[in-house]
Amino acid sequence: MPITRRQFLRRSSLATAGGLIGPSIFGRSMLQNVMAETIGDRYFVSLFLSGGNDGLNTVVPYNNGGGSLRTDYELARRSNSGGIQLAAGPGSGADEGLDFGLPTVNAFLDPNTGAQLALHPGMSAFKDMYDAGNLIVFQGCGYPEPNLSHDVSTNIWETGDPIGTLNTSKGWAGRHLEAEYSPTDIPGVTIDNSVAGEYRQTGTSVLAINRLSRFGFPFDGEYEDDDAAKLAAFDAIYGESASNGSGSAQFIGNSGIATALAAQSYPQLHTDYEAERPLFDDMYDDESIGGRTSTSRDLREVAKIIYGSAQGVPGVNARFFHLNNGGYDNHSDQGGGNPADRHYRLHREVSAAVKIFFDDLTDMAAGQTDGRQNLPDKVTILIWSEFSRRIIQNDNGTDHGTQGPMFLIGNSVDGGKVIGNHPNINSAVTDLYNGNTPYSQAAADPYRSTDFRDVYGSILKNWMNVPQGTVQATLPLDPIPDPTNYWNVSDFDLPLF
Amino acid sequence: MGDLNSQLSEAEARHLLRRTGFGADQRDVDKIINANETRGEAATRLLDFKVSKFRPRNRDIDIAHNKWIKFMIRTKSQLQEKLVLFWHDHFATSNDVVGDVSQMADQNRLFRINCKGNFRTMMDEINRDPAMMDFLDTVRNRKEEPNENYGREVKELFCLGVFDLDGNPNYTQEDIVQTARAFTGWRVNSKDQAYFDDGRHDKGTGHMDDPFPERGPKVIYAGNDAFGMNGFDYGAAAGTAYETEIDHVMDAIFQHQDSAQRNTVAHWIAYRLITFFADPEPETSYVEAMVSASNFDTTFEISNLLFEIFVSDEFYAPLTDPTKLSVKWPVDYVVTTLRLLRMKLKSRFQFVNGGSFDEIRDELTNMGQTLLEPPSVFGWDWETSWVSSSTLLARYGFARDIIAARGRGKTTFRPDRLFDFAESPAVDPDIVVDEVTSLLGVDEGFGIGSVERTALVDYLTDGGGGLIDFSDFETRDKKLRGVVGLVLQSPRYMLH
Repeated sequence: MPITRRQFLRRSSLATAGGLIGPSIFGRSMLQNVMAETIGDRYFVSLFLSGGNDGLNTVVPYNNGGGSLRTDYELARRSNSGGIQLAAGPGSGADEGLDFGLPTVNAFLDPNTGAQLALHPGMSAFKDMYDAGNLIVFQGCGYPEPNLSHDVSTNIWETGDPIGTLNTSKGWAGRHLEAEYSPTDIPGVTIDNSVAGEYRQTGTSVLAINRLSRFGFPFDGEYEDDDAAKLAAFDAIYGESASNGSGSAQFIGNSGIATALAAQSYPQLHTDYEAERPLFDDMYDDESIGGRTSTSRDLREVAKIIYGSAQGVPGVNARFFHLNNGGYDNHSDQGGGNPADRHYRLHREVSAAVKIFFDDLTDMAAGQTDGRQNLPDKVTILIWSEFSRRIIQNDNGTDHGTQGPMFLIGNSVDGGKVIGNHPNINSAVTDLYNGNTPYSQAAADPYRSTDFRDVYGSILKNWMNVPQGTVQATLPLDPIPDPTNYWNVSDFDLPLF
Repeated sequence: MGDLNSQLSEAEARHLLRRTGFGADQRDVDKIINANETRGEAATRLLDFKVSKFRPRNRDIDIAHNKWIKFMIRTKSQLQEKLVLFWHDHFATSNDVVGDVSQMADQNRLFRINCKGNFRTMMDEINRDPAMMDFLDTVRNRKEEPNENYGREVKELFCLGVFDLDGNPNYTQEDIVQTARAFTGWRVNSKDQAYFDDGRHDKGTGHMDDPFPERGPKVIYAGNDAFGMNGFDYGAAAGTAYETEIDHVMDAIFQHQDSAQRNTVAHWIAYRLITFFADPEPETSYVEAMVSASNFDTTFEISNLLFEIFVSDEFYAPLTDPTKLSVKWPVDYVVTTLRLLRMKLKSRFQFVNGGSFDEIRDELTNMGQTLLEPPSVFGWDWETSWVSSSTLLARYGFARDIIAARGRGKTTFRPDRLFDFAESPAVDPDIVVDEVTSLLGVDEGFGIGSVERTALVDYLTDGGGGLIDFSDFETRDKKLRGVVGLVLQSPRYMLH
């Protein structure tokens, strides 16, 4: 009795931390670093903007080009009191204006209308990355029959299974992890209290780590001589649950074993990073450059793990990461181009943190000949949100909408370009009330949407080196061959790297 | 279905107390057994608690949170607090958004007062609850720019669910938009009271002030079996008494029928309460039986529904089917442990007096459950979603803090106060395991099995077997603390 996808997921008891079956934390042969042939020595970071990021105020038409995007935008997003319009032109004072976010080196044009596009002024760091050719903007990303529930839509993006073709609760990247890694590997880490849905699966272990400094196994300091005896008993009890427990007991058994195992190697990553990279350790906390945020601190944890992993620290194999930033569900108080506004602060938080992170990687790699060499070339970040917002604003905010932009960032990314067309924001062609552009995959549609699975598939194929046929099996076409509405992409050949 | 005249065994009594409260204290078990209570008698008595109007009030959200925890630890009406937790998750309002601890405390009391009462009454109060009105933007919902945040969640989460028991959608986007119009104009005054602002209300097509003819009449649920193809025109039902539109919308919601002509609200709420108290994966027939037996689809009396759940066979199934065990919520794990070990938290910051000395709110946050700040309007994810490497380490850390709580007084863990092994030169380790697992309620049903038992005995004897000399304080103290910690950290203790 499927009530909601959420309950379906809750029930299915799929592994978060741990598909480990069996015996001992000690003497496990996993302290060797196995490298999957697919992703190799590269890393993938997924950054989720939770709550539904307003894409129409993220990538913004600067002028009309051959169409009317700017005019349409100004009709939908007011500039008077309570308005959230981003002004085109040099800003003054509080409102910085869009010249701030107008990429200057490469043409940043809507392929459909030729309108010049700009990034939200809070994303100046992304503008620089775009200009440097390290950032791709995907426009109008969505899926058939868009759902405006946060919960349902997040699950759709996580599973990559919009209309239930696969009827799976496993994540799109989780299906890849399960195929590629064994139960004793730990290929992924979510920087949070729970494992991200996109990595959900049963075949291998994904950790949830909030902070590495707190990831040690807690012992009673009064009787240190008893620690080994306690761990031996813990191991036997959890091993029994993992081997012979049923349902949730087995799940907890597996998770506990993976946890106790990782707790032996991961905390050291924090200590090493702190001792060896104090300058960058501080930068993530430096407010003057946009640090001291949950995103910058989460990315610092990723940097610590990559720093150790690239040097071959035993027991650290993670290649896949997830972090998320909340606060995008701005039905009100969204604000416009003022640096104090909520949406502005969110965009600055994320873009500044990503910049610090890549500066850190660049510095880590400088002059090195081991795995740290060329590190910025080996890391890519994908940024996404479960949906965008309504075209027409409400009172200083926006209700739930459909298609939004995605970003792909990294030194190996063939960036400085925009893929896909800006959504049609002409309110005359939308229902004023529901106010969303319908998803369309019709080749002839000038406002053709980007199916987010095309982005996922192209990453699997070209970053994880997964063969075309395997990607197609991971992200199958929708069964109903309706070219106007359903996904008809099959080649996964978006030019990403 | 179950036999309400069936007399409770000790194992059943313990299970009932664990699910309806925080752990099974032997004194409460004895009360049931000594009175030879039946399922029905015990359920009636548990549901017959006097409603407390406690509200966790403080300027500081941390202190308010910890006051609630303290109240849970000492309350005699544990079922009431379990229900308040359920409704807090159901109407998952966060102070992160509301930013007003006093309003949060008022909402908490609203849950306490209505927790076993009438669900329709509760909804009518939630519609006008200042914390909720701020949380889901009712106060920012006005005719010029309707805000559909509350209109959506009142259907998706509070009353109907996205899909029914057969997987069919319960409502459309148009229903949400039309519902949002009913709530335009509702605001909160400076005394934290809801009021209706006529000038901000969308009076609708036909009214002389109506500037939005394209929105059409205020009709919801067109095509629903309860209302036919034309749906329900709540605008017409309210007439010019515009402030009653939200009540007419509620009337329609409470009459809504799902794809199998079942009352949708009744089955949604029953499904939610069943997954909370009885069975994480209920059969549709079980949900239907509970609604039918309690007449919840006509009366919406929560206590009647709970009674039927508490006497049903499915409620007691975890005693014979380990797949029906449920993962304890973090707050349940914490409060149960403190109650069973007869321990109190220390100071107004309410910390465990050992180990990390983190305040209890931080410990719960690390376990994935910050009360009064649920992660989103969906509340918390239950069952195995509570379990990750990060949250498990937080539970292990709490267990460690408990056994490291030393010194004097009620905030410390003193094995000699709980177990009578002092001055014993030759103790059978099996008896130690018996006493510890019995105290912590993991000795029956699918309790600690032979492999776990052997592991604990090996731990107590350092692998040597035989009898233990507990006359030595250090050995006794070390091993008793250690064995309690191991049981608290065990998968079985995480379940109930």
